[in-house]
Amino acid sequence: MQLKNELQRIVGKDFVADGLGERYLYSFDMTENPPREPMMVVMPGSVEEIQAILHLANETRTPVVPFVTGQNVGGLTIPQVDGAVIIDLKRMDRILEVDSEAMYVVVEPGVTFGHLRKYLDENHPDLRYTFPLASPYASVLANALLQGLCDLSSRHGAMGDFINGLEAVLPTGELIRAGSGILGDGYWFSRYPLPDLVGLFSGWQGMTGIVTKIALQLWPRPEFSEHLALFTFGERETVDILKKMGCLQIIDDAICLSIPIIKMLIGVEYPVELYKGEPDYGTLISISGNTETEIKDKIQQIERIVNEAKVQDSRHLLATWDVVIKLMGEQAMEWVDFPSDAFKILTEFDGLTWVGTYIHPKHWAEALTRGRKIVEKYEFELLAFLKVMKGMHFSEFKFIIRFPKDQETLQRIRRCNEELFEMVLDLKALPYKTPVWAAKRLHDRIDPGFLELMKRIKQTLDPNGIMNPGRWGL
Amino acid sequence: MTVEKSVIEDWLHRCIRCSNCKYIFRDYTPSCPSGEKFRFETYYASGRIGIAQAIHRGEIEWDESLLKPLFACTTCGSCEVQCLAPHSEHIVEMIEEVRYHAVQALGALPEHKKFKDRILETHNPYGADHHNQQMKEIHDLPDSAELVYFIGCTSNYREIEIRDATISLLKKAGVEFTVVDEWCCGSPLLRTGQREPVMNLGTHNIQAFYDTGAKQVVTSCSGCYKTLKEDYAKIGMKHDVNIVHLTQLLEELLGSGKLKVKDAGSIGSITYHDPCHLGKHMGVYEVPREVISRLHVDLIEMSDSRENSWCCGAGGGAKAAYNDWSIETAEKRIQHARAVSVDTIVSACPFCKRNLKETSDEIEVLDISELADGLINS
Repeated sequence: MQLKNELQRIVGKDFVADGLGERYLYSFDMTENPPREPMMVVMPGSVEEIQAILHLANETRTPVVPFVTGQNVGGLTIPQVDGAVIIDLKRMDRILEVDSEAMYVVVEPGVTFGHLRKYLDENHPDLRYTFPLASPYASVLANALLQGLCDLSSRHGAMGDFINGLEAVLPTGELIRAGSGILGDGYWFSRYPLPDLVGLFSGWQGMTGIVTKIALQLWPRPEFSEHLALFTFGERETVDILKKMGCLQIIDDAICLSIPIIKMLIGVEYPVELYKGEPDYGTLISISGNTETEIKDKIQQIERIVNEAKVQDSRHLLATWDVVIKLMGEQAMEWVDFPSDAFKILTEFDGLTWVGTYIHPKHWAEALTRGRKIVEKYEFELLAFLKVMKGMHFSEFKFIIRFPKDQETLQRIRRCNEELFEMVLDLKALPYKTPVWAAKRLHDRIDPGFLELMKRIKQTLDPNGIMNPGRWGL
Repeated sequence: MTVEKSVIEDWLHRCIRCSNCKYIFRDYTPSCPSGEKFRFETYYASGRIGIAQAIHRGEIEWDESLLKPLFACTTCGSCEVQCLAPHSEHIVEMIEEVRYHAVQALGALPEHKKFKDRILETHNPYGADHHNQQMKEIHDLPDSAELVYFIGCTSNYREIEIRDATISLLKKAGVEFTVVDEWCCGSPLLRTGQREPVMNLGTHNIQAFYDTGAKQVVTSCSGCYKTLKEDYAKIGMKHDVNIVHLTQLLEELLGSGKLKVKDAGSIGSITYHDPCHLGKHMGVYEVPREVISRLHVDLIEMSDSRENSWCCGAGGGAKAAYNDWSIETAEKRIQHARAVSVDTIVSACPFCKRNLKETSDEIEVLDISELADGLINS
């Protein structure tokens, strides 16, 4: 075990593990993606240790897979080859800098949404970051690099858009920076005007290096905010309202959820079923402003759109958050305050999955309609999720499935997800947090030049192919 | 003894490893002493559940390397408090069950086997000579009484001030009570996967209670309290003796005026450390605080208290097998006490007192029995 000894020399004996328990637990994630055991797990505590690990990996041609806080999806931390070393980054968990003037934060990989939230509340109450419907302990850095979404996505887009810059260790061990942080610490204010080398790491699923610091945009915490719940009937009708609201450019966030998710939030137990006469969708809408008048004006604009829709179907209903609190209790306030608190509704079993996509607005209704039929065919709960993104340019769309990982259900899940994936590919949607099986199917549908460029970049940065080999189906 | 009902089987397809068990909900400070120390996913509750499920499903076979992740855990139950999933209340049970299977497959950890052997030989984990008969003579206790004081091995053979303070308090209250020829309650064995002898120990103890005509048993040990009150029934030893913790009896005695607090005297500022077996496992948080309040002592709470309190590090067999880490865990709790600038940290469990005392220099460590005895009139 020369490699183990060398890794222990770098990080210390306590931070290298190759026991059966570690090999097993790091071999799978919460999704249906097939497991594969790593050879061992190493837990560096500094940039220098990461550099030394990657030097060693290059020398020994050892595949490495980055891993942070453990709530992984899409099989993204499952090694695709034998003999891999997982690099668990959770020890690197410092918030390094908050610039309240340029409004950004610089964090290490192990900083979670919960920790960032607490830090800002205590030290910079006038600033906010954005939070996803994910565990409070998901890595802020990983979610940004994977271009995830959050509770300001309807306004600002995917988290990948919030990256001002980053520091990374290349697969060959060199330390580099991208974004305005190349000027030095204290200057992570922008990603441009520069060749956008953040793109060498954003969306690459850890194939091009290990990002050790990331600078992310923060926003002023508005003085006034309000939340609304919109209950609607019919896919076409629902997305028509969403598109009109999105085009107003006044919404911080709008998440359209099929009604069983709303019922789960109220506390309805598994399996959540649909009943005749219930609305099909509930959309949670967040708005903010600098004055009460601004809030009132925004609400009036939303009401106007809903009232127009009610001419066609009077059952559509826009409810104030006071009404929602009466329905769901005080926890409704906590969910809008910190959406991660609501993640508990997805922790029913040991399995959770989705085929997540970013999709063109013209296909939203069809995606919801066709997806619903597929999910119903496979007899899973109807948990559709559609979030208006970046001022109506696109949406994030998925059907979430919570499931027990018994063999029969796993097979059924795989078939269901494959069918959902083919459906969204037909609708020219792009998968996100893409598992390898889905990436391979994507290859046949996209510009071959793009794939060729990815391969060339990968070869240039990682000549020995040690960084997360096999990811993206390459 | 076999495991008749498998809690691992009941929750075989739960836990997506969301990490809620790792931190205090909405506070985001660490909640798991083991995970905080060892950091690999295997050392959090979700990791132990994953291993237990994998063994149960036959996905992995027993291997020596699994022992440390499974046993380097104080079973403090903080994971159960923080977990928001349906299986949350059963995490410690799952850990104790998988430890049982580990012992069946690979044998007990040597440090744990040592105290099991002593229990089998001397009926206490310290190998001490039984002296409850002498205690009866020294304190002139009757053969039968409606109240039995179950001293517990650690109070009886190590932290004897707790035993003496408790007996003193019961005498001050004028309560008729006695002690029995008690055997180890079995808690150290249940926590470390060595279940077989527990039925014999429990049967003896229950019979001893009945032989005295006891209607109520009071114990000053939180581990004994949980075992006598909850675990015996879970493993099929049902009884109708009312088990109470000393704090619960003190609250009653102070409330009824049978115990009277001294008019004067101050011990400075104190904080209260919730024993895991009393708090997280049995839900007794307010009673000790009520007792402290009735003693006219100002209580300053640590930042992590009640269900979010940091474990003292002594439980679950951790002190015997992983003493350095156990002490490190206690040191962190003492730091919490230091942060609120108190003179004394009070707990309600001999294990907590023992471990906190080992690491505390300037802050005095007392059991609530000692605190009360010092402040109550003769």
